Amino acid sequence: MKPFSRLLFAAAVSAAFVAAAVSPAFSAETIKMGFVFSMTGGAAAYGATQKEGAELAVEQINAAAGGGLKIAPIFEDDASVPQQGTNVYNKLINGDKVAVVVGPTLSNTAKITNPIAQQIGVTVLGVSNTAGGITEIGDYIFRNSLTEAVVIPNTMKVAKEKLGLKKVVLFYGNDDAFTKSGADVFRKVLQAEGIQILGEQTFAKGDRDFSPQLTQIKSQNPDAIVCSALVEEASGIVSQARQLGIPKTVRIIGGNGFNSPALIKNAGEASEGVIVGAAWNISSTNPLNVKFVDDYTKKYTRPPDQFAAQAFAGVHIVYQAAKAAGTADNRKAIRDAMVKLKGLDTLLGKFSFTEGRDADHSPVVQEVKGGKFSVFSN
Amino acid sequence: MNLLAQQLVNGLFIGSVYGLFAVGYTLVFGVLDILNLAHAAVFTLGGLVALWLVQAGGMSIWLAFPLATLFAGLLGLLLNQVAFVPLRKRADSQFSGLISSIAMAIIFEAVALGLFGARSVRFPQGTVSVHIWHIAGVTITSLQVGIVLVATLLMLVLTFFIQRTRTGKAIRTVAENERAAMLLGVNVNGIIAFTFFISSALGGAAGILYGLYFDSLAPDMGRSIELKGLAVIILGGMGSIPGAILGGLAFGLSEVLTVAISGTSNLRDAVAFTVLFAILLIRPSGLLGRGKTREA
Amino acid sequence: MLEQLAQFYAVYGSVINFIGINALMALSLNVTLAAGMLSLSNAAFAGLGGYAAGILTLHFKMPYVVSLCGGALTAGLVGLVLGLPVLRLRGVFLAMATLAFGEVVRIAAVNLDITGGAEGLTGIPNVTKTWMIYLALAGAAYFMAVLRRSRLGWALVSMREDETAAACLGIHITYYKVVAFTIGAMLAGLAGGMYAHLNYLITPRDFGFFIAVDLLIYNIVGGTRIWYGPILGAALITALPEILRGVGVTAGPIRMAVNGLILLLVILFLPNGLASIFTRFRPAAAKAEAA
Repeated sequence: MKPFSRLLFAAAVSAAFVAAAVSPAFSAETIKMGFVFSMTGGAAAYGATQKEGAELAVEQINAAAGGGLKIAPIFEDDASVPQQGTNVYNKLINGDKVAVVVGPTLSNTAKITNPIAQQIGVTVLGVSNTAGGITEIGDYIFRNSLTEAVVIPNTMKVAKEKLGLKKVVLFYGNDDAFTKSGADVFRKVLQAEGIQILGEQTFAKGDRDFSPQLTQIKSQNPDAIVCSALVEEASGIVSQARQLGIPKTVRIIGGNGFNSPALIKNAGEASEGVIVGAAWNISSTNPLNVKFVDDYTKKYTRPPDQFAAQAFAGVHIVYQAAKAAGTADNRKAIRDAMVKLKGLDTLLGKFSFTEGRDADHSPVVQEVKGGKFSVFSN
Repeated sequence: MNLLAQQLVNGLFIGSVYGLFAVGYTLVFGVLDILNLAHAAVFTLGGLVALWLVQAGGMSIWLAFPLATLFAGLLGLLLNQVAFVPLRKRADSQFSGLISSIAMAIIFEAVALGLFGARSVRFPQGTVSVHIWHIAGVTITSLQVGIVLVATLLMLVLTFFIQRTRTGKAIRTVAENERAAMLLGVNVNGIIAFTFFISSALGGAAGILYGLYFDSLAPDMGRSIELKGLAVIILGGMGSIPGAILGGLAFGLSEVLTVAISGTSNLRDAVAFTVLFAILLIRPSGLLGRGKTREA
Repeated sequence: MLEQLAQFYAVYGSVINFIGINALMALSLNVTLAAGMLSLSNAAFAGLGGYAAGILTLHFKMPYVVSLCGGALTAGLVGLVLGLPVLRLRGVFLAMATLAFGEVVRIAAVNLDITGGAEGLTGIPNVTKTWMIYLALAGAAYFMAVLRRSRLGWALVSMREDETAAACLGIHITYYKVVAFTIGAMLAGLAGGMYAHLNYLITPRDFGFFIAVDLLIYNIVGGTRIWYGPILGAALITALPEILRGVGVTAGPIRMAVNGLILLLVILFLPNGLASIFTRFRPAAAKAEAA
């Protein structure tokens, strides 16, 4: 290729970039929402249901909007890596000029990408980030996902009350920010509740074989196994524990990561009696929730999980803020309206933000009974 | 419960699955001197296709297993045809073969992702009925026993095949010296294709057994076993089938015992890779291998 | 015009930064590939450099340039120590050994407190700017271009072609291999240090096995035989998701498949990488570096 042709080629490629950066104009009555979910990579399973929940919400809101404010969603995939997350944030914020960003799926990514939004001044609503250090990034960063720091103390309190736990083993994933911080919270809470930790075992994300650790755990004879894991590993842990002969009387207690129908589907019979502390209960009789579960199951032929529920609620929360602010594209006004939201009716219950822009609603403690998540009562 | 015995059983079990997987790797390396990094992707697709046959096709696992294994073998033929045959004439065919196998692995995983979604799935409940036995303080399930039996059977059949049949001898000849084999009238291309077929079929079978036991299949399930498989064949000796089997068992046991002794799984992989590293430095040909390991 | 450029940078600035860093890391691998050594540990060296630089900045409050040097030196030192025993192995065995090393580094990073465990090292001030990355890249590229014509370069190439013959010609194989390996490690460490200061944080996942494979892919796709090959490869593969997004392809599986397909097509039909397209029409240059 002669030098001039090469130049032309390079110019053409750059032009392609610029063309992709320019976006079509929208009317003032449409609010552009950017969604950053992990559709590929390690967190793809969660991103998938998040997108479904969000899409359902957008669909329903737009159908009911009439001539009022509509949502123009832009979905992007951050491939579960911060590099892509950064690129996508830049594109959404500077290229598409979204008013709000919902996501990203992983707390790890959020820590790197949210400062970008904070610096420019774009509201971010995390709908699945539950690790520490997220909302601390700045006053444009919100989340509606109840953190482990709130869910776990409640879970252990209720479990100890109803089961009289005295000694447990802690089993957690030590290579993921979410599961590790969940374990840290469990540890603190167990100590505060005076429950003895007989020992700790760890695993890594992607592990499928838990028999070595579970065998050790079995020999220690705990009253319960306290587990901080994401659903893929949780299913394996639960079913292998029972296969190994750990009796059902030794309960397995998990956090947010366990709260997915996939747990029941994958672990089957073994999941009976598993206790799950979470932000959302699929069988909650809250009418908004009942409708959501119904609609979701009809549209996607399987029941929703917590990721879908929180994404769904997240869209509503942002939409209400925009409506309250009376604007579709004033980024600052939307942020200010977010802070003021109080007692909003969502499928999570009455929702408000805390001082620190974290979620403020009551957590639940559930038990898997008859193949369903029901509220834990003894 | 007899703690040590239970851990040994655990190790033996996972070791036999590793062994079955590693055998496919080492077969191709022995014959072609090429590391086929798409093996893990075939492992994944074998498992997923078996699941699809059972779930969507309503087949019993006894039928789905051989069919999916066959399919995996065909994938191996495809792999050979697309990624390795065009490169055989090249001087650096070992290296470029490695690269093209990486490319195929990416493509295969993308296909798995596109067809089956990212979520992990499992064989429907009741695909295999599981009985749990408690013997001498050790808990074993019928599924575990079944898997070990199938894996062992496959590996024995393979060993017998390689040692006793004519085709097996032809494979060994090609592995020893390709040119000499050609001069002896062996259909080298055909043998290589056949080797890929067997290797991938075994890899696919390992994937199905893995998915059955762990109740979990996902497009990226090959990733975790890929590295372990490599470690196993180094340990056992590249190109040696008994080595791969022994290596698999040794690896499975060491993994399990590391966890048992240290009380945490933090170090499990670190120990494995350190051992691998040490072996490469001290005795790169592994336990039973005889490949060239130094330059010229 | 200026405004459009500013807009372009606002949207794609991060891509441009990553291209720079990936190109730097690709070049670091190229040094060893040029000698015919398949090393999969460069990602780990970048990690070591990144963590070292991060720790120097965070805990010892060193200025940026000192941290970067510290990172590069740490990586280089480890490379030297690792290289001596390992570089006698051939082909696949070397690859395995370097891979095992990389995994051990990653696992150590996940489990040690000083590296922040699985969450990584956070709170590193983001000092790296685009011009710094490209300055370093320009320096490395110049170095690579000059290397080809230097004594070291010729030694490496002859080792790649035929090690026995090279040894007979009096080329001290191990010495040159270790030198190449260490240079590559230092370059990777530098890239890692810059990366750590780019994104506020560095995690073990940023330097695992798959990143090591990515570096290999940049080199193969771009071409290993000339200095701008790895840069080209890194640029294309890093920008690929954005290019695909631009033409409306956002589905993950398709992106993955395109990546794999590009690699396959290159290795089958353009074994010397995309750079060979350019050198094909420059016979003089091609002759000079085809040697």
